[in-house]
Amino acid sequence: MTVSRDPSGLELVVDPVRAEASLWRRFRFEDDLRCRETLFNRYFKLARSVAGRLFRARPGQRLERADFDQFACEGLLQALDRYDPLRGVPFSAYARRRITGNIADGMSSMSEIDAQLSHRHRMEQERLRSLARTGDDPLAALSELAVGLALGLMLEGTGLIEPADAPDRRPSAYDSLVWRETLALLVAEIGRLPENEAIVVRQHYDHGLPFASVAQLMNLSRGRVSQLHRAALERLRKRLRTNGG
Amino acid sequence: MTTLCGDADLQALMEAMRSDEHDEIARADRLISAFPEDPRLHFLRGSILASIGRPIEALSSLKKAVALAPDFAIARFQLGFFQLTSGEAADALSTWGPIALLPEGHYLRFFVGGLTHLIRDEFDDCVTRLNEGIAANDENPALNRDMQLIIDQVGEIKRAAARDAAEEEDGSTSATSFLLDQLSGRRPN
Repeated sequence: MTVSRDPSGLELVVDPVRAEASLWRRFRFEDDLRCRETLFNRYFKLARSVAGRLFRARPGQRLERADFDQFACEGLLQALDRYDPLRGVPFSAYARRRITGNIADGMSSMSEIDAQLSHRHRMEQERLRSLARTGDDPLAALSELAVGLALGLMLEGTGLIEPADAPDRRPSAYDSLVWRETLALLVAEIGRLPENEAIVVRQHYDHGLPFASVAQLMNLSRGRVSQLHRAALERLRKRLRTNGG
Repeated sequence: MTTLCGDADLQALMEAMRSDEHDEIARADRLISAFPEDPRLHFLRGSILASIGRPIEALSSLKKAVALAPDFAIARFQLGFFQLTSGEAADALSTWGPIALLPEGHYLRFFVGGLTHLIRDEFDDCVTRLNEGIAANDENPALNRDMQLIIDQVGEIKRAAARDAAEEEDGSTSATSFLLDQLSGRRPN
């Protein structure tokens, strides 16, 4: 269900073109990296729709739709870094070209083995490596790992950063009350994570970005993103344990 | 050394802004290279850039005008309004701070007061202040038109909110009468 809301006073006077220019200015000329993520989120749907169109136009090829999405996100990240906001070309037109080009490049460079190892499989392996610890009591480590992976499954597709008017993708009324309550708690706790950890969780689980792309978005190393991922899941696990009783 | 350009040059620039020649930016740039410290030129350049969809450069020109002449009230007001329309309300409020030092009853004080209420979603006070500003402003009719536009939009929101409230009221009345009908053993129509 979509709930309508009266516009705020500020919304009444904000000019969308100026508001977007303000994001570009703060990202490009004032090094405000939060604006980079805001712009990425704003154009994520565009990247997905280009990926979807190209995927449908090439039936029967060996790659999955998720691979197309991944190349599209990489193209969007490149576009964010290379676009010149002072040239007067709308970003959507510029980004569409780069996204299309990156999908074409990615498809031609992907090896047969890469293609066989699905995008989802690669994401899961990455996640596992981030969470697995060495040197601990093996049973305790396994238990922690299981909880971490379970949290990851819950986080996938919870619509954490969907706009208010997007379709409601939360579990339906048929899901158990416990599941829904835990999920609500989880979403609330993500809002309380340190900013960097929250970005990793949002982009990795909600947008399905592998750590390499999250690292590119945040200007961090892939290893650092993996650490942030692990720290976020540990924090969520502890808080859920405390709040969940 | 003269820091301000002559009235004739300024007049010519403003005429270029009104004409269809599309050479106003080139003219402004030429004048600015001759008189880089003239805040009026930076203000006009900012206004031109804002009107042709180059907001990033427009903001820096408007900021430059205010930095050169902190008492240039209309430039300060327009810079704050530009920030507000860019979604940067906190910056707008901070830019407008010194407007409070203008004399009591100055139209820019009313406009800033009205827009501050708007940011806080205090719509009735917003409209009152903006109307007071329009009544007090007889030197800048274009600004009055902008403020009137905001008053009209606020009126639209208030009418929509009143319609929603009335519909909700109708809904709750029917729910109540339904319950009363149930209690009294009658069936609702």
